[in-house]
Amino acid sequence: MVNVIVLIKQMPDLEQIRSDPGTGKPIKNGVPTKLETLSENSIEAAVTLKEKYGGKVTAILFGNEQSSASMKRAYAMGVDDGYIITGYKESNYLFTARVLAEKIKELPHDVIILGNQSADTFSGFLSGQLSAILGEPLLGNSVSIEIEGDIVKVKRNLENKSLVISAKKPAIVSVSQEINEPRLPPVMQIMAAGRKPIHTEVPKIQPSGSVQIVSEISPKSDRKKIIFEDVDKGVSEVGKILKEATR
Amino acid sequence: MKALVFSESSTLAAQVISGLKSVLDFSVAVPKDQADSVSEYGAKEVISLDGNPQMDAFGKKISELMNSYDFLFVPSTVLGREVAGYVSAALGQISVPEISKFEIVDSKCKTSSLSLGGKSIIDIISDAKVLTVAPGFADPVKVSEKSKISVMTLPDSSVSVISEEEKKGTGVNIESAKVIVSIGRGIGKKESISIVDPLLKAVHGELAGSRPVCLDYQWLSEDRQVGLSGKKVNPNVYIAVGISGQIQHIAGMRGSKIVVAINRDKSAPIFEECDYGIVGDLFQVIPKLVAAING
Ligand SMILES: Cc1cc2nc3c(=O)[nH]c(=O)nc-3n(C[C@H](O)[C@H](O)[C@H](O)COP(=O)(O)OP(=O)(O)OC[C@H]3O[C@@H](n4cnc5c(N)ncnc54)[C@H](O)[C@@H]3O)c2cc1C
Ligand SMILES: Nc1ncnc2c1ncn2[C@@H]1O[C@H](COP(=O)(O)O)[C@@H](O)[C@H]1O
Repeated sequence: MVNVIVLIKQMPDLEQIRSDPGTGKPIKNGVPTKLETLSENSIEAAVTLKEKYGGKVTAILFGNEQSSASMKRAYAMGVDDGYIITGYKESNYLFTARVLAEKIKELPHDVIILGNQSADTFSGFLSGQLSAILGEPLLGNSVSIEIEGDIVKVKRNLENKSLVISAKKPAIVSVSQEINEPRLPPVMQIMAAGRKPIHTEVPKIQPSGSVQIVSEISPKSDRKKIIFEDVDKGVSEVGKILKEATR
Repeated sequence: MKALVFSESSTLAAQVISGLKSVLDFSVAVPKDQADSVSEYGAKEVISLDGNPQMDAFGKKISELMNSYDFLFVPSTVLGREVAGYVSAALGQISVPEISKFEIVDSKCKTSSLSLGGKSIIDIISDAKVLTVAPGFADPVKVSEKSKISVMTLPDSSVSVISEEEKKGTGVNIESAKVIVSIGRGIGKKESISIVDPLLKAVHGELAGSRPVCLDYQWLSEDRQVGLSGKKVNPNVYIAVGISGQIQHIAGMRGSKIVVAINRDKSAPIFEECDYGIVGDLFQVIPKLVAAING
């Protein structure tokens, strides 16, 4: 039996963000939110562990009042119990880590699973932060997880090497996108998830330190965007350009 | 002001030092096998870290060392991001990820990073003491005088290493290539990669790929991966073949001069990020394109 905590985050659906041609700023209003990519991989990894060893999966999401859709999705994928903590402060990663750590300390667990680097902010701080705050070992950027007795063993992927590493429970495991393909829950489970209660709480601590976003703009694409739908015309034009440019 | 750079890679550490040594005094801490190579870039001191090179060991040691520094810079790698997180929490200090610019304004940090998965660039003013640095921050520049090296021992780690395997690199350096042909999942299978051989020859190009091709399927070695978590390239010509053009991929090839895309899906995002696009099946387009270039 394993007690798994999975940390999940909500983000805007990045594919649907367009930029305002006038101001050059991304338009975030009205963009639907979804589960952050690596959070989905984390849920899949957590639920797979439960299916293999038995036990329970508890999800924690530090977000806002609008985060329940993501938690319902987590339920539909097999999460048993979920906490939403409201009052998320974008870009204050220290605050995020401290708030999540406070909640984690209240919950008995063998493994904490989270993404190694989230798909919207690319921060990748949280796993190391939690390891420092909770004093639990980190098995980072895992592509497989096994539990044997009181030992957690993972395959860790680094840029230039891969390692098999292990540590004593309770341990933090961050997962890489390559670890799995998140399941698509069947409609029945989605319906059942909608009726399941979610615990909602507020942080017990205040943010410290100042982090202010002073500007946000879309990266400009000055590309010519000359698109040929007629292949023969395209290859002849592009062929000329390539011949010139690569000479 | 004094800054410490931590990295497991001397090349990445050298980028940070070279980019900011006119504003900050640098020391650099690296695993001991990197100490020699990092000593040529103008750091005041190189700290060679000896011991089991695991995240918590580095985290503890760097947190201790930070008593003497105003900032910690960590090039963004898997290990680097973990260590940066560890140190920021251990010290209770603010951290900012993936910076591409850094300045000090009224004793605060002003930084730029990608946000929204690369859909935006944000400027942040903060009390940050810990910063991860996006790859390609600056070109490494050697100096004539070597830094002095001191050795320190890492504390014990709570993580045991059972086995370790080097990834086979090909020694290729796509970052310096003038022409790149980059393949994506659209190539379908490893055996089909040979379809681009004549194109590579015709344009004198180097072969690269998207993350699925390099990491998930391992059709190409990982040192050929272009993108946010791969290499940042800036060739004269970048030819994207069967690549959809997700933002994380674009983040690695934005510096290219001319971008050509071949994709059978007219609505693929790559067509918003290219100079010339051909809508069609790559298996038909490539032979024709080769003929057009050679003809
Ligand atoms: C934190 C994070 C970091 C990441 N870092 C990177 C990174 O560094 N680099 C990277 O590349 N990705 C990265 N990704 C992954 C990225 O989001 C995409 O999943 C990936 O870039 C998609 O690769 P692709 O274009 O090869 O595959 P797909 O998105 O599957 O696209 C394949 C394309 O091929 C086309 N196609 C198929 N068959 C043919 C044919 N016969 N002829 C012509 N066209 C065809 C299709 O129309 C499609 O557009 C990262 C993701 C995350 C979350
Ligand atoms: N606000 C949050 N609430 C819960 N989990 C989070 C939150 N932010 C990040 N995470 C988890 O931590 C992973 C890495 O995030 P980061 O370190 O911020 O890149 C994500 O993939 C999530 O699993």
